[in-house]
Amino acid sequence: MPDTFPLSIQLSWLIPLYGFSGMVLSLPWATGWVQRNGPRPAAYLNLLVTLLAVLHGSLVLRAVLALGPQHLDIAWFSAADLDLRIGFDLSLTNLAALELVTFMSLVGQVFALGYLDKEWSLARFYALVGFFEGAMAGVVLSSNLFMSYFLLEMLTLSTYLLVGFWYAQPLVVTAARDAFLTKRVGDVLLLMGVVTLSAMAGSLEFNDLYAWSAKQTLPALGATLLGLGLIAGPMGKCAQFPMHLWLDEAMEGPNPASILRNSVVVTCGAVVLLKVMPLLLVSPVAIDVLLAVGTISAVGGALVAISQVDLKRACSYSTTSYLGLVFVAIALQQPFIALLLLFSHALAKAVLFMSVGSVIATTNCQDLTELGGLGSRMPATTTGFLVGAAGLTGLLPLGCFWSFGLMVEGLTSRAPFFAAVVLLTNGLTALNFTRVYRQVFMGSPHPKTRRTPEVNWLMALPMVTVSVLVLVTPLVMARIDRVPGIGAFSSVTALALVGSGLAGLLAGRLIPLDTFWSRSVLGPLRVLQDLLAFDFYTDRIYRATIVAFVAGMARITNGFDQLVVNGLVNRLADVSMASAESLKLGVSGRLQSYVFTVVAAIVLLVGSLSWLGG
Amino acid sequence: MLSALLLIPFAGGLGLLFWPGELSTERIRRAGLALLVLQLLWSLRVLLAFDTTNPGLQLQESFAWVDSIGLDYRLGVDGLAMPLVLINAALTLVSAICTRDLSQRPRLYFALLLGISGAVNGAFLSENLLLFFLFYELELIPLWLLISIWGGANRGYAATKFLIFTAVSGVLILGAFLGLSLFTGQVDFGIHIVTTAQLGMGTQLALLGALLIGFAIKIPLVPFHTWLPDAHTEASTPVSVLLAGVLLKLGTYGLLRFCLGMFPEAWALLAPALAGWAAVSVLYGSLAAIAQRDMKRMVAYSSVGHMGYILLAAAAATPVSLLGAVFQMVSHGLISALLFLLVGVVYRKTRTRDLEVLRGLLNPERGLPFTGTLMILGVMASAGMPGMAGFISEFLVFRGSLGAFPLATLLCMVGSGLTAVYFLLLVNRAFFGRLAVTPPSGDPVADSRLEVRLPGVALRETLPALALASGVVGLGVLPWGLGRLSEQATTAMAQLPSLLAALQGGGLVS
Amino acid sequence: MRPIPRSPKPPLTYGGGLPSSNDLVETLLAGRTLLADTPDHLSQVVDVLESYGEVLDAYSINLIYQAEKQFLNPFPVFRFLDGDHSPAKIWRHLQHDRINFEYAEYCQKSMLWHGTGGLDAYLDSEAFAADCAAIVARKTRRDPLLAVLNPLFPQFLSELIRSAATTHALGQFWRVMSDLFIDLARAERDGRVGSIAAVVTFLKEGLVAAAGAAITYAVEIGDTRLWVLPPEAGLTFLMDVAVPYVEAVFLRGTPFLGTVSFNAQAQQISPDQAQFMYGALYADPLPTMGSGIPPSLLMQDMYRHLPDRLHRTYRAGIRGAGDVRVKICMTFQKAMFCVTNAAIAGTFPHPLGSDVPAEQAANRAHAAAWAARLCVARTDCLDDPG
Repeated sequence: MPDTFPLSIQLSWLIPLYGFSGMVLSLPWATGWVQRNGPRPAAYLNLLVTLLAVLHGSLVLRAVLALGPQHLDIAWFSAADLDLRIGFDLSLTNLAALELVTFMSLVGQVFALGYLDKEWSLARFYALVGFFEGAMAGVVLSSNLFMSYFLLEMLTLSTYLLVGFWYAQPLVVTAARDAFLTKRVGDVLLLMGVVTLSAMAGSLEFNDLYAWSAKQTLPALGATLLGLGLIAGPMGKCAQFPMHLWLDEAMEGPNPASILRNSVVVTCGAVVLLKVMPLLLVSPVAIDVLLAVGTISAVGGALVAISQVDLKRACSYSTTSYLGLVFVAIALQQPFIALLLLFSHALAKAVLFMSVGSVIATTNCQDLTELGGLGSRMPATTTGFLVGAAGLTGLLPLGCFWSFGLMVEGLTSRAPFFAAVVLLTNGLTALNFTRVYRQVFMGSPHPKTRRTPEVNWLMALPMVTVSVLVLVTPLVMARIDRVPGIGAFSSVTALALVGSGLAGLLAGRLIPLDTFWSRSVLGPLRVLQDLLAFDFYTDRIYRATIVAFVAGMARITNGFDQLVVNGLVNRLADVSMASAESLKLGVSGRLQSYVFTVVAAIVLLVGSLSWLGG
Repeated sequence: MLSALLLIPFAGGLGLLFWPGELSTERIRRAGLALLVLQLLWSLRVLLAFDTTNPGLQLQESFAWVDSIGLDYRLGVDGLAMPLVLINAALTLVSAICTRDLSQRPRLYFALLLGISGAVNGAFLSENLLLFFLFYELELIPLWLLISIWGGANRGYAATKFLIFTAVSGVLILGAFLGLSLFTGQVDFGIHIVTTAQLGMGTQLALLGALLIGFAIKIPLVPFHTWLPDAHTEASTPVSVLLAGVLLKLGTYGLLRFCLGMFPEAWALLAPALAGWAAVSVLYGSLAAIAQRDMKRMVAYSSVGHMGYILLAAAAATPVSLLGAVFQMVSHGLISALLFLLVGVVYRKTRTRDLEVLRGLLNPERGLPFTGTLMILGVMASAGMPGMAGFISEFLVFRGSLGAFPLATLLCMVGSGLTAVYFLLLVNRAFFGRLAVTPPSGDPVADSRLEVRLPGVALRETLPALALASGVVGLGVLPWGLGRLSEQATTAMAQLPSLLAALQGGGLVS
Repeated sequence: MRPIPRSPKPPLTYGGGLPSSNDLVETLLAGRTLLADTPDHLSQVVDVLESYGEVLDAYSINLIYQAEKQFLNPFPVFRFLDGDHSPAKIWRHLQHDRINFEYAEYCQKSMLWHGTGGLDAYLDSEAFAADCAAIVARKTRRDPLLAVLNPLFPQFLSELIRSAATTHALGQFWRVMSDLFIDLARAERDGRVGSIAAVVTFLKEGLVAAAGAAITYAVEIGDTRLWVLPPEAGLTFLMDVAVPYVEAVFLRGTPFLGTVSFNAQAQQISPDQAQFMYGALYADPLPTMGSGIPPSLLMQDMYRHLPDRLHRTYRAGIRGAGDVRVKICMTFQKAMFCVTNAAIAGTFPHPLGSDVPAEQAANRAHAAAWAARLCVARTDCLDDPG
């Protein structure tokens, strides 16, 4: 890279390090080294470095707008034919994603300062968020698969630690474990893909890999396995069926982390998928799997969300659902639409989760049936929820309306089925948010919502800021997408979208609300209700299959080890007990006998050697 | 220069043992530490003198010792031995530092530690088969004594088991060395490549087989591993640190130096089977670890699994995989030493290692929060989390081996996934939840009111673990130092078969 | 001052088990103390209450400052500075070298949310609504943002005013308690208080003396003073603030995120707030300073104001200063049982020595109501030696 480039570009390798340095800076407080003073300085320092990351990112963005995309490449480790590098791809898309990540991290951290105001382990939280942010910033900028994998795995680790933040709470213990293991399955599969590509293609730079895969004719099986390996990692990160379980359980973690997880972490997973997308062309099966997974996640996630009784979970399943649509868009080679969808989803989902967080903070309650009547007292929270929900559904001309419009328009002719999936998801999502809104914000106050003043400014301000951003999303999208323009879809598509959203809204308005969590009296309906409420019993299926299998294998191996291998050895030992006994003589003896044994052994040894050699 | 690495520990150990007059435990401890620090400094001096561009043995020293039997005193160091010498010096020092509450025979204890360290140095530096064997055996007896005198309740059984297994290992290795000399007619016991021209493939396979099993016991690989969990369970923390961190590496070192290094052709023939063996060992060790409820046994079984990666890498014998093997030896040394140290801290404070009993040790005031934090770091490193030593080692091993043995490599990766399972169980059970160090009584009221009074962990108790943890992270983030140190040697080793073919083609071998 | 007779040794806990409700009723009716009367307990309780008193002093000053000077301020950035905006103080606060006022706010929110007693009832009265309307009318005239929000969210401002009223009332309550606790420490040093029974009596008399004090609150908007809690409302210290405070903070509390799952499907939290048992008398001291345990903030504040004598006692333990904040929490729990004991004693409807059967029955009913709640609390700390 020439020295004439602006400093911001030359130093762009610093961007992920801001987050990591935040972690390091928090250590004196997180480890309890600072005893007398509270942990807040750690939070302030993290906010500061995150702000630096945002500013640096925007400087780079400006420079890149002027100079065009840049590539920064640093050698990390090389040996023989292996060359592992740190690479930054400073393209507009990546930098936009970076700005999204760092900015959301910033507002999330401000929100956390309010939400976790009575939390003594604040420093540990901020250290983890710093780690989280650093890894995410690296993932979106990464120009090679190795670095992407490296950082995705770090994201898995920090997700585990963030979900496990309240480690003493029993459900957190299982939630953190499941979050880690589910993602780890995806990561190991991805690692297989990465190692394979590294061995076969040599370089792991995305550009080299694209070139390699274009002229590659792999055997079908190999290509399929490779493709599946590559999509497994993003599937885990984006909480897609059947690896979505962790997102539900991750709701046990602190809400500010949930904000980041549901908006930008899943985005990072999808960005990695976008980057490996050209490689997937070698494997039609992988594409089909991607489509199937995306479709099931989109519709299944939306349905499961509708039957959730927990406020956080009702919103988090819609993340699975939307990322499913992103997967569909990627599988159908529509990267641009996928990006627009990710962008509009991330902002809207973030404000939605902030609103959810402030409801929880005020009411000490996540149970939808115990909430109600908040609408007239909590302006920022209510507005945040409304704006977030509107931004996610294709009804009002906010972010997702335009993204969905482009997607439906593009798919109607090529793959009408998936256009229908988009509309269906839209309708179901509208239904879900309408029912949640009615339950939480409308109606008369319940005992737990009788006294609910608006949250403090540290939570309200980020909420309002992001709400405003959601409202101006279409303008930003219009600037990014000059050709063909975000409105490049027919009025029929627009009508279909509005129609599906309106249908969902009406249905959500009309369905009866449960005052307590009631199961339907109709048999089949009850079965369906339970099936959805318990997320298709995914956790039980896992427990009955893969967990049982591994546990069984472990028991068998251990039994074999104890009975057969060890038993055999002990049997042999019994036979030669005499010699064993004589060797044990020294145990209770005196020093001299030990020395004697040692010397005797050596003398014997050398003697026998000289005899043999002699 | 290299002789000093033997002289310091051996002479120091003997001096400590036979120093006239009474010495307080504290003074003996300080003297032992000083000697070990000296050894570490000297190892670093050797590192400075080491030429990384030279693939062969260097800084050689030799003089004829017992010439009649070909027992020459010949030392040399290459990129394979150098990191191991450093690890040995560092971990012996760590285990001496973390020796606490030494109630009996401090002189003997420190003398034995020094003796082991010297013997291990000798084995890594030997350029003569018999010399290697001597040191290999010499390390055995002190360790046996360390387990059988300072061990746990069942130490007699474990120590005897260890002794018998390793003695068999020694006999097999000695037999192979003698057989080699007998069949080739060479009595100098140097480390030479054995060619088919010299020795028939059948004989080669028999000798290699004996060596393989000998070292497989030491590493240990399934099914010869059963002494290890017992030895670890009964050994005290410092001895476990030494055993896992340093002594197992003698086996893998032998595998690379003598099996692969001397019998490249026979090795190539056996390689597919060895890769399969590696996969079995990895999966077996990992699955057995899942079922353990004693933290120390769990870590011990994880060693069985993780040493399997080295066999895989050796079987593939590509430049990258062999470099990965060296990385794995170093990183396993650091990580398992770290884990044993931490389990030791937990045991010393709570008097139990039972995963069915321990809960919530992360509790900031009454638990062991810092130990818990380092434990999370340690298990994540062991599970191959990027940014720490385990990841780069595993990546190199897998990357280097995939081309040669795809299936075995993929199975080993599954083993890496299983590592996450059992170590996560360990952390989640023992460190998460509400603090408890006694078994649940079944009465929820009583269980929620248990008084827990654990002694605190002083900073000096965590310092060794902290140092190891920074080593683990350092190697994970900046691996090129070790890479540069070993790359030439491992590349040269990987080229042995082709070199051999070239030599034979040129008719240079007599 | 007539001390409550010292009990020889109240057999309240049996080998870690819990006392039965009947034992508690008898203890209360006999006028014995809940906490075992030992010299260790005396010094620990008095010292911990002294440090608590110092912390409450700061809390009280700040809550009253917030309610009066930060009233309806949308961005109360400097609300913990008590009006002192000197760079030195700001720097100290940036370093978090300060009292954790967040805990005071937490108690205030808890009190508002549980909403029991006379103060809460007044907040729903028409008189309050009228006062609110007047304040809102005046406030919206000066503040365009509020002028826009008020018609859209009609309950928004009155809810914030309710919150401010609770804040101020809690500030007034803690003012009294702070002085009482510091007086107690002085009395113990002077030798006027020499047993746990005397501590309970001292506290009871302090509470009874303040019982009828009026709780009022007015705000200044511009240059006019407007009542939020006017004297005519007749709110008094003991019944309208102290009792709801005990209910909200000592007994019910709110579930800690660090120990209880909020997951609706797991149903770990009762839908009925009256069933909550997360308060100070029920809390588990062991996870103190862990994540998601709000009282950690209070323990830290008390740690910073710990009297030397208590600090020395704690340092003698196996963990030394390492687990001092858990020890504070355990002692604090004992102290809170003493305060509860005093509150119960002070609110008996009739004198304990009464011979009238109807009065005895009323007293017994009062004791039984408390015993029913206390018998599942952490009473195991009561005869714990240290």
